[in-house]
Amino acid sequence: MSADASDLSLVRRVQRGDKGAFDALVLKYQHKLVKLVMRYVRNPAEAEDIAQEAFIKAYRALPQFRGDSAFYTWLYRIAINTAKNAVVSRDRSPVEYDLDRSNTDESYDMQGRMKDSETPEGLVLTDEIRSTVNAAIDSLPDDLRTAIVLRELEGLSYEEIAAAMACPVGTVRSRIFRAREAIDRRLREVFEGGLGRAEELG
Amino acid sequence: MNEELDSQLSAMFDNELPAAECELLARRLSRDGDLKSRWGRYAVIGAVIRAERGITLDGTMAGRVSAALTSEPALSADMPRSGGRVPSRWWQPVAGAGLAAGVAAVSIFWLRSQAVPGHSAEAVPMVAALSTLPAAAPRALRSVGATVSDSFVVPPVQQQPTLVVPATELADYVVAHSAFSWPVSRGNLLSALMVSEPGTSSTPAESEKPAPGVQGNAIQNPK
Repeated sequence: MSADASDLSLVRRVQRGDKGAFDALVLKYQHKLVKLVMRYVRNPAEAEDIAQEAFIKAYRALPQFRGDSAFYTWLYRIAINTAKNAVVSRDRSPVEYDLDRSNTDESYDMQGRMKDSETPEGLVLTDEIRSTVNAAIDSLPDDLRTAIVLRELEGLSYEEIAAAMACPVGTVRSRIFRAREAIDRRLREVFEGGLGRAEELG
Repeated sequence: MNEELDSQLSAMFDNELPAAECELLARRLSRDGDLKSRWGRYAVIGAVIRAERGITLDGTMAGRVSAALTSEPALSADMPRSGGRVPSRWWQPVAGAGLAAGVAAVSIFWLRSQAVPGHSAEAVPMVAALSTLPAAAPRALRSVGATVSDSFVVPPVQQQPTLVVPATELADYVVAHSAFSWPVSRGNLLSALMVSEPGTSSTPAESEKPAPGVQGNAIQNPK
């Protein structure tokens, strides 16, 4: 099994002209990329802009991607370079920024968020998403919770999780899937209800 | 949506699905809105567990990226995939010359093994075939068997039509195809051909006749 087979299959589809496959890659990695870029810029809105720019650059550069490295590794490099260039072009030192903001993270978060997701209704929804997901994880049976946390938080492969939990790889796959399904069921309810609440706020 | 498909989607999200299954699911994922939404929610679950920021359910960034790329032409399979650099071709003439030299060398060694008298084990079937050669066979080939008695036991496989190569044509062939061969090898082969030419052979024509008194399987030189 290839370590990057699923990303590569999506990449190949994009390279053959299927733009829809690129959406799936953006959906999968947008949060990781924003988190990565925020090492260089602390403004979430700016980080989102840079991440978006990195995705666009990646799309344009995809014909040159040969699959020698994992797609995310390649995307990671593009995002880092884009963030560094953004910092240089704006003549802003990330160190100074850290010093300015280190003790005011929460208040800064509120000030800096300018994107759709950071509107008042967006923030309410985001908070609700977080609390719902966390509550759903807490209510999972131990084996499911351990499997999903080892995967998502520790980044372990199925084989490594199987070794850690002393069970077959197939069982790991099933546990992670069942954990996601249980969380997703709750998430969909919030999504549907949350949108209504957000509209009321607006 | 069936459970197996969802299970595959979950495994694909983790890069744990076999490549063959990924191909099919990737195609479906790029077209199926529900599947893509579920995929996006899987990403949200992971982001919450890792306490990442910018969590949304509606794929805002994906929408913005998609909108920004609307005016971009779709990528196509015939686009260059080597970073726009022209790959180096320095090895092509070298490889071509090497291949030609290899073919020439193999041809020469094969022809030598067929044409030079007494060369390795190939000489035995050649000699054995002489008894079946027509009278009009080239002198060069007849001279090969000049030292062999007709009483030699003929092996079962006798048909060697490729052996009937006129020496002149053989020489032409060697000259035309030995551009990359070693001069020594070429010289040896041409010398062998010259030896087999009428008038240049040291073997007398009479030697083609069986020596009187020679019997059995013994190979004897006529005196």
